[in-house]
Amino acid sequence: MRDLHLSLNQTQRVRLQAALDQLESYAASTAAAAASVTVADSIPVNHEDNILKGHGTSDLDGQVVATLCGVVERVNKLVYVRALRSRYKPEVGDIIVGRVIEIAPKRWRLEINFSQDAVLMLSSMNLPDGIQRRRTAVDELNMRSIFVENDVICAEVRGFQHDGSLQLQARSQKYGKLEKGQLLTVPPYLVKRRKQHFHHLDQYNVDLIVGCNGFVWVGEHVETSEKESTLLSDKPSGKQETDNSVPLETRRHICRIANAVRLLSVIGLTLTVESVTETVEASLRSNIEINEMLGSEFYVQTVEREAQRRASMVRKRS
Amino acid sequence: MVGLSEGEKQFLRGGIEQDLRSDGRTRHQFRSVYVETGVIPQANGSARVRLGATEVIASIKAELGKPSLLHPDKGKVSIFVDCSPTAAAIYGGKGGEELSMELSVALERCLLGGKSGAGAAIDLSSLVLVEGKVCWDLYIDALVVSSDGNLLDSLAAAIKAALSNTGLPKVNVVLGASPEEQPEVDVSDEEFLQFDTSTVPAIITLTKVGKHYIVDATSEEESQMNSAVSVSVNRNGQICGLTKRGGAGLDPSVILDMVSVAKHVSQQFTSDLDSEIAAAEASDE
Repeated sequence: MRDLHLSLNQTQRVRLQAALDQLESYAASTAAAAASVTVADSIPVNHEDNILKGHGTSDLDGQVVATLCGVVERVNKLVYVRALRSRYKPEVGDIIVGRVIEIAPKRWRLEINFSQDAVLMLSSMNLPDGIQRRRTAVDELNMRSIFVENDVICAEVRGFQHDGSLQLQARSQKYGKLEKGQLLTVPPYLVKRRKQHFHHLDQYNVDLIVGCNGFVWVGEHVETSEKESTLLSDKPSGKQETDNSVPLETRRHICRIANAVRLLSVIGLTLTVESVTETVEASLRSNIEINEMLGSEFYVQTVEREAQRRASMVRKRS
Repeated sequence: MVGLSEGEKQFLRGGIEQDLRSDGRTRHQFRSVYVETGVIPQANGSARVRLGATEVIASIKAELGKPSLLHPDKGKVSIFVDCSPTAAAIYGGKGGEELSMELSVALERCLLGGKSGAGAAIDLSSLVLVEGKVCWDLYIDALVVSSDGNLLDSLAAAIKAALSNTGLPKVNVVLGASPEEQPEVDVSDEEFLQFDTSTVPAIITLTKVGKHYIVDATSEEESQMNSAVSVSVNRNGQICGLTKRGGAGLDPSVILDMVSVAKHVSQQFTSDLDSEIAAAEASDE
């Protein structure tokens, strides 16, 4: 999602500035703020031990200065800057959402906002029939019956190959193709790694998948249990209904949640299921129409609410 | 342009059918428009317009020239559109030329009227200083900085904003004794004449997706379109131009329907745009 530019009126501008100042004052006290640098900030290092200058640092008049905006990271002697506006850096076990861009022999290639395309091997995903067996040439020919180009799928990071390319796996019912919803992209630094990235928002009948790579899926809830095989008799009638379209009520919720995600990413707030549902509920409370959620009034309100939330957190701690 | 999966396409089309698009808009709702004027100091007038994630810049450069022999009582206006490779990788090299041409031609049709200059949205006769001798040549250059659909409408809005930002310097012309002699011109650098943009129309593009048509389509929605009709409507609700894109044919009755919708939508859009331009001009000063 690219930057949203809003035309604020005078009072909104004053309120926004006040809220932002407040947020800044809370942020300044945290440890992360101490380590965050902008371009040309000098990074304090103890000169007696020879350090290794890593990515985003440079030597200037005997001082180590940052050449990127980001957070200073230190690993033993190495000092580097982790840039905020950068591509996704995968870690093993991350849950990601990606788009298939190519089908190659025995593998799908996925765009996941990493510096290269991720690879999902045919052998590292469960077959639709659920039987564990060797993948045959026939399976390979039928790969398009599983995923075709442009499909949105979610998977897990399995590991890196020796050549640095990324391997994915999808060995569970919960992974796989995503349909009936919309894909949003946010800067990856807004998504923190958590225990849970799949969220079923029960009250809205919506699935929210927050991929670690900044791809967020908002779609109609689908049952991903083993019921699929037991309910096989019901399936045809159910399928016909779902093929038609998403019910209007669910679609309203999907759009509202999607706009909440868009808004949070524009403001630059961390995307968690709590922050998203909180934003959605706030918009419902103040009777904001779905498309007005991207307007200036709700933008200011959301920033103010975040400032209040942090204020109450600080109060609780002290 | 990013492709969409079958599921997303169905979701998108279903949304348009249910009158609730992916970002919560109804079919005939525009995204919020944002205007900034005076972005290019060297130009006589310039503006940046953002429509959602679409961003375009227009600049107006005025030069003194000679009117053409066929139309001695009219100034000259030319429109060029360029697509920046920052908007999409395919616009790099010669990739954007085709789209640029298409957009400039569509804008010329909508804003400049016929070949003779009759019916132009910009009053060409006001550009003439001395009939047959001296006139203003307006060069309208527009740049697509980032593209998220509905380029034509945003370009037209940007041109309108840039024109209202334009100040043409006051010119004193001293005619020579004989008619063949070139007149002497004295360009003032203090006094500027404002441009009247009340007649400049807004372009409303109606994109047909499935059975319904929508205004202000995003690039995702545009990828699903069958055909699109761009209607330029001026403040009085009169139609100044009409262009159609896309392969699929349209029933004449649908076109009439679209035109009346465009007229209705344009009133809202024009007033929004006008207030944005006024706000931008106010903050500029």
